[in-house]
Formats: sequence, structure tokens, C-alpha cells
Amino acid sequence: MNHPPSIKAMVQAVPRSLGSYAPVLREIEEALESPQCNLSTVGDAIQKDPDLTARLLRLANSPFFGFASLLTTVAEAVSLLGIQQIQDMITASSVLEQFKGVPDTLVNKHSFWRHSLAVGVTARLLAMERRLPKPDKFFVAGLLHDVGRLVLLLQAPECAAEVFALGQRQRILLRDAEKQVLGYDHQQIAAELLQSWSYPPVLVQAVGYHHTPVQSLARTEAAVVHVADHLVNAMALGSSGEQWVQPLDERAWTTLGLAPEDLQRIVEAADAQMLAVEEAFLKIGKGAGHG
Amino acid sequence: MKVASDVKNIDGMLLVPAGCELTERQINILQAWGVTEVEVEASEEKARQLDPLAQLPPETLAAITNTLRARYWKPDEFGPVPAEIFRLMLLREAQRILKPAS
Repeated sequence: MNHPPSIKAMVQAVPRSLGSYAPVLREIEEALESPQCNLSTVGDAIQKDPDLTARLLRLANSPFFGFASLLTTVAEAVSLLGIQQIQDMITASSVLEQFKGVPDTLVNKHSFWRHSLAVGVTARLLAMERRLPKPDKFFVAGLLHDVGRLVLLLQAPECAAEVFALGQRQRILLRDAEKQVLGYDHQQIAAELLQSWSYPPVLVQAVGYHHTPVQSLARTEAAVVHVADHLVNAMALGSSGEQWVQPLDERAWTTLGLAPEDLQRIVEAADAQMLAVEEAFLKIGKGAGHG
Repeated sequence: MKVASDVKNIDGMLLVPAGCELTERQINILQAWGVTEVEVEASEEKARQLDPLAQLPPETLAAITNTLRARYWKPDEFGPVPAEIFRLMLLREAQRILKPAS
């Protein structure tokens, strides 16, 4: 059996880089710091990346946002979507892009991105249904919820292989196999990673407790990601390696205060939005068109 | 199409009693009174046509139920919410099967 590394050691070995979108994000930050900053200067920064511009406009015109009229310029998209939201989405996508070196042997990367994206989309829909403030932050939390598993796959592939083998052999949940092999699980790795990268504490709590939301200091946020993860696993929209649809913690459902009748609308909207945004986001996730 | 509940005007006067077959003439009367919508009874046949699960052959329904159950961790321990999610997943799968190939 391989000696598992500590969470800290694994996380410290992950370089903090924003990948191919780093120049764009830097320019947006610089534009925001400037006293002359306006929507057009932020739009100009984004437009320097034609691939990102095309994807952003496609996304802005998709049912994900549901604007009535066609948005034709980046400045329009920035004004309607908001600078913070665009920054968050590019940042979250570039976090996943960093893990493109993860081998496909244990987890299919495309399937992993798809699962992550679907949990992001569904978490945002649940937050909107519940009328929680800033539903887009739930998208980011959903998108990043399983990033800890990517760290494990990248930094300790032999341990990850043991985890997957144990899960298969004993027909147990992958998270339980992680605890047996490593002594900790992927949500703890993710929390450590996002904390070390100075992500907002609420996001760290939502991701770090998405399997145990009632223990989270941000219980509602963690509950949203937990329910979204369960729904997406049931819908079989990609997979982060888990072979089972994991149990739903009904206390998390109660925290959301939604009615079971709301579920059909959410499932149908998640299916429709996934069709619309998959191409745009998955290409961001894969870093297509970037060197 | 039968009216499911009594249709009255704003003064409480009965226009069409529950259970009455809705005809062209009655629709004209209702429109004249400014009634824009009424509840109608769904026939069993119509309800069956609208329910994707009822349209599947029993063996297909059994097969998709088993396939779905096999993906779940401890499907026998479902609470009411996971049970509702499971039902929605069955419906979703049935709709996919019934959807004409485009």
C-alpha cells in the first residue's frame, strides 16, 4: 500500500496559476483598478481573447441567462452579466483547466468536466428557485465541488488508484474508500486548496462540506451543492468517478425549504441549460484553442 | 370534454354545472360572460396518453427501473425526496425512449 501524502503536502504541490486565461483576468483586474474603468474597458480586455469572446457571447445568449434580446457585443454582455460574475466564471473554469494533465485512466476528464458543470448549473438553479442572493456564486461552488479529487488524481495517482480499486472491490462509496486509504476525503482536500488560494470562506465551506452539509458553517450553501450533486448523479450527467448515486441527506433538502413539486422544473431546466452551455464551458474547461 | 367544477358568473349565477359536456354553444355563453378559463376533467385515456410511464410496455418499464435502481447506493433506504427524484428520473428516461428520433 502506498503511503498517502498529507493534504497540505498535496495542495502545496499544486501550482497556483490561472492557465491560459491568466492574461485576460489580469487585464480585467487592471481595468477595474483604473479610475477610468468602465464597462467598455473591461469588454476590451475580454475581446483581446477572441475564443473567450465567442464563448462568452454564446453563453450570454443561451437559456442559461435567458435574456430576451440578442446580445451582440462583449460590453453588452458585461453590463448584463456583471463583471464579478464574468470574473468568477473565468476563474473557476481556469481552475479546472489546470488539471488537464490528469490521466484519463481512472476518471474520464470529459465526464468529470460535464459532472462539474452540471452540478454548477443545477446549484445555480436551486439557489434561484430558493431566491438566495447571488445565485451565480453557487454555480462556481458547484463547478469546483470535486476539485479535491482532481488534486488527488494529479498529486497522488497511486493512492487514487487504490481508492478506486477499493471502491470497486468492496462496492463502497468512493468517499468512504478515500477515508480508508488516505485517512481523509476529497472534500477536505478541496477545502484546503481553495483556502490556500484565498477563496471566500463561504465557497470553501460549501465545497468542503458538500457531502456533510449539516456540519458546514455555510449550511445553506453546502446544502445547495449537496442536493445539486445528488440530482446530477441521478441524471447521469457525467461522473467524477463515483459509480453510485450517493444518498441524499434529507436534512440538506429541508434546509433548502423547497417542495418536492419544485424538482421537476429544476430537472427540466438543468437538462435544457446543459444543452445550451455545455459546449461553451467544456471548451473553457479543456482550454481548447489555447496554447 | 367535461367541466370539472361549477362555472358561475361574478354574481354567483350558475352558467355550466360540473360534469356537463362543454359544447361550442356553451363556450360562446361563457365568453359572453367574460369567463376566460374553466377546469375540465381529464379522461382516463387522456391521462394515460399524457403519462410517459403508462405508454411504455411493462417489460421496458421494468428494465429501466432496474437499470436505474442498480445505479443507486442503497435504493431500499429511500426517503420521500429521493423517491420523488427516482420517479422523475424514470419519467425522464421514459420521455427519452418515447421521443421520436429526429
